[in-house]
Amino acid sequence: MNELIVAGQYNIGHICTTHQCKSGLKDKTAMRWVSAHHERTDYTFGDLDAASNRFANLLDTLGVLPGDIFFTFLPKMPEQFFAFLGTLKHRTICGTLFSNFGEDALLDRLSDSKATGIITKKSFLRKIKRIWPQLPELRFVILVDIDEHSEENVYSYKQLMDAASAEWTTALTPPETPSVLHYTSGSTGKPKGALHAHRSVLLQNSTTRDVLAVNSNDIYWCTADQGWVTGTSYGIIGPWSLGVTQVHFGGVYDASVWMDLIQTERITVWYTAPTALRMLMRESPELYAPFDLSSLRHISSVGEPLNPEVMVWGEKILGKKIYDTWFQTETGGILIPNRPGTPIRHGSMGKPIDEIEAAILSDDGSQVGVNTHGNLCIKSGWSSMFITYINNQEKYDSRFRDGYYYTGDTAYRDDDGYFWFVGRSDDVINTSGHLVSPFEVESALLELDEIVESGVVGVPDDLLFEKVITYVALRDGITIAPELDLKIKLHISNRLSSIAAPHEVIAIEKIPKNKSGKIMRRVLKAWYLGLDAGDISTMED
Amino acid sequence: MDIITELNTVFRQVFDDNSLNVTRTTTANDIDEWDSLTHMNLVVAVELKFKIKFALGELQLLKNVGDMADMIGKKIAA
Repeated sequence: MNELIVAGQYNIGHICTTHQCKSGLKDKTAMRWVSAHHERTDYTFGDLDAASNRFANLLDTLGVLPGDIFFTFLPKMPEQFFAFLGTLKHRTICGTLFSNFGEDALLDRLSDSKATGIITKKSFLRKIKRIWPQLPELRFVILVDIDEHSEENVYSYKQLMDAASAEWTTALTPPETPSVLHYTSGSTGKPKGALHAHRSVLLQNSTTRDVLAVNSNDIYWCTADQGWVTGTSYGIIGPWSLGVTQVHFGGVYDASVWMDLIQTERITVWYTAPTALRMLMRESPELYAPFDLSSLRHISSVGEPLNPEVMVWGEKILGKKIYDTWFQTETGGILIPNRPGTPIRHGSMGKPIDEIEAAILSDDGSQVGVNTHGNLCIKSGWSSMFITYINNQEKYDSRFRDGYYYTGDTAYRDDDGYFWFVGRSDDVINTSGHLVSPFEVESALLELDEIVESGVVGVPDDLLFEKVITYVALRDGITIAPELDLKIKLHISNRLSSIAAPHEVIAIEKIPKNKSGKIMRRVLKAWYLGLDAGDISTMED
Repeated sequence: MDIITELNTVFRQVFDDNSLNVTRTTTANDIDEWDSLTHMNLVVAVELKFKIKFALGELQLLKNVGDMADMIGKKIAA
């Protein structure tokens, strides 16, 4: 039994706070919060425990029950961490929403999950209010930046927290208890809610220690937003379950500011994304010269494949090795990584962690040989494996065959056991490490009067890995003027999210479809890339 | 109408928020939805509104909305 688990208590919120305090870390800094304007505030594990206890009590006061679903919809800020951990202590399921989601994206997720409550900011309330009439189960909203309750069912975080007790005893939480909910995009249909269980802490803890090579003396920085799985698994659960001090920064990308942060805070391990690293790579090498990065042992990366050029740049300009890691929302934690102590093969995903069995399988489920492309699959049963797609067990079941989870990625394994990513086996777009559903974008585009049909594809991009390209068929007499181009981009950015916003909008007469009406995205992609579209015999006339 | 006021109209359109009130000191750190992706749309919206074009790299010199307004003023006057 992992020493992390005492008397069968698997509760993530408890392990990340109360358990750390009981282990003697009450006064250790858990989080150094650096605001966008560079004000610094330290929170000890004792502070984290008390604040999350208050939040658990707050949920009780509002009549929330264990098993209900509660969401955070916040930019990176301390209240998000307190709410997340308090919700888990309460044994309520905590979903997290990317703070740039628009109202369509919010509606899909909040209505599918039948969320009971949400914590957000005053400036985001407008988005909630527009969709609230369509959310009969949503009982209340908590705002972090108002001093007093403002209107019916809109509560002040401050007022509720002031009234809540800092004492809380977390009920015994068995390993299979539902914990964290993250929605993920597929190539068809609405986003799916991947639900995890409290047992995930085992793998998130061990991979933070063994793959990210973080130890209890480290100062660790994870740049991921808490709206995504990396932000919760490795920006909250993994490090705090190890009693590690984290730096969290509330500002936007700025190369000099980031380097200054590493230097000033003496950050020792940094977990970030390939897109961020490629943005840093575009800066002048002279930018890095004044900074003392000697505290930093290494960098790890996740989101999309890390190109070898970035690894070479990291060693040459920063003097640091960069280790690529692979996982998905559904896997809950890192499964195939490069890591310190294991030779890196530039461009490879690395080797599977000891806990899992990874395989390359053909469509009929048979093992394929080395150096042969196939479906990347994981033997069912790893400790951070998701437990269902909520309200869609059929879809969940379809991801498993003969005891293997089919990841949707294609890959191959070389003679020495290294895995190499090849691509997706569906149309999902991976842009800057985030999955975008072409179906969602296509549907949102049809809300615009000017558009009759749409088709959306991802194409390779030097910075983002893939970028979103939109083909539209316009109503008679309408042309794609710059104003309409902007209107389309803003519509997607504000209804779905900035991540899903198209980089290019291309008007064509008709969207290619097969005879059963399915959009032939491979044809659109081939057109964009100037390639042969292949077999188009099934295309409608 | 001064440039900041007109810019505020653009910001409200781009960020779909009619309660936004930008000032000369507003930066990307003050608007939660202002990331590198929305920034691209913001630039296009500003160009269309003021009928100007920004050169590559010009925008990296801008520290806040005030700098942006000054650059717009220069381009309009040129």
